[in-house]
Amino acid sequence: MADEKKGSKLRGWTDSAKKMLYGMAGHDMARYALKTRGSMEHLFILITMGDLLGVPILPPYYSLRLLPYVVPQISTWKRRMLRERDLTDALA
Amino acid sequence: MLSRLFSDQPNRRYIMYGGKGGLGKTTFSAATAYYLAKTGRKVLVFSVDPQASLSDIFKQDIFGKGAVEIMPNLYAQEIDADHRIREYQQEIRKKILDMYQLESVPEEIENYIQAAAAEPAMEESAIFDEVVDIVVGGEYDYYIYDMVPLGHALYYLSMASVYDEWISKITKLREEMAEYDQVAAVMRRDKESQEDQILQELQYIKQRINASSSILTDKEKTAFFFVVVPEEMIIFDTQRAAKLFAKFNVPLSGYIVNRVIPEELGGQHIPDYLRNRLEMQKGYLKKIDTVFGKEVLARVPEFERDITGLPMIEKMAHTMFGDF
Repeated sequence: MADEKKGSKLRGWTDSAKKMLYGMAGHDMARYALKTRGSMEHLFILITMGDLLGVPILPPYYSLRLLPYVVPQISTWKRRMLRERDLTDALA
Repeated sequence: MLSRLFSDQPNRRYIMYGGKGGLGKTTFSAATAYYLAKTGRKVLVFSVDPQASLSDIFKQDIFGKGAVEIMPNLYAQEIDADHRIREYQQEIRKKILDMYQLESVPEEIENYIQAAAAEPAMEESAIFDEVVDIVVGGEYDYYIYDMVPLGHALYYLSMASVYDEWISKITKLREEMAEYDQVAAVMRRDKESQEDQILQELQYIKQRINASSSILTDKEKTAFFFVVVPEEMIIFDTQRAAKLFAKFNVPLSGYIVNRVIPEELGGQHIPDYLRNRLEMQKGYLKKIDTVFGKEVLARVPEFERDITGLPMIEKMAHTMFGDF
């Protein structure tokens, strides 16, 4: 009984330690990985669904096949595409 | 005789006739199908041409009706691209509704589905996809492609390699994305990252395209014949086209000369007009022999009337393949 309690306490400690360690080192990396992945997702949608912005990139037959999977991302993607600027915007 | 094209090559399954419009591709396709069917092979002759003429040659409306039995062992099919596109759009809509449990497709998405269907490339892609369905089905002993005129056929052939390259690139991007997913999942000590359905779709598409292009370039299973007629322009065009086809690794199996005015007419009392045509033809036939050499497989005479309906197709089949 006492052993079990001790064990769970120890587990609690190691869990907290792991979480702390994750917060210190891993969290940023995970965030970075997810952010990069997010950008790639948008790049992917641009390549496959470009005609939504008036940029036809590929034959539409197979892009329609992929459409159902990207439905939730379409609106955030469009917002991002229209928001992103490059250096030439600043010069203008 | 052309029958040895099949007896010498027992593994041959896909036959294609190419050439400029109006030279007799559909006629040869139908006659070959007739010969193979009569000799006990199950044959499907199908058209990838939006302005197909199989219905005309068989004197039966088969457009968009799937594989129609013309006579025992002989089936013909004309692909209705519009219908295919409409069906496909509906499939996509249904998938979206099911996946997200929606009542109706969001407006923006619906607009996209409609706009995509109006793209000029859509029709070709839809036909391409249906052809993949037909040939991977494997129900028939022989498949005869009634090809579209040259320029179009080249576009069709190049599409396979363009698609293939494109799909490879985005599959790679998708795989990289999966790696990032994995990293984040490991960091956050999540369970297995979700399987990427898009990646699976891409791999499915890739596999279909590969199936189709591997058939088109398979030297053992596929035979591609060019139809030429003894006319100067046609000879030049065919030479150019043959070079382009070789670029796409299409196995060129030879040339068949069509519409040859029978030489014995020269011995009869005929008007000067016809005599001149005969003289001219002699020159071009010689030219065809020098240009294409041993690859010229046969000369098929001009018939006294149009080739439509089974009796005329039978006559043509006997001219091409002898007695059977």
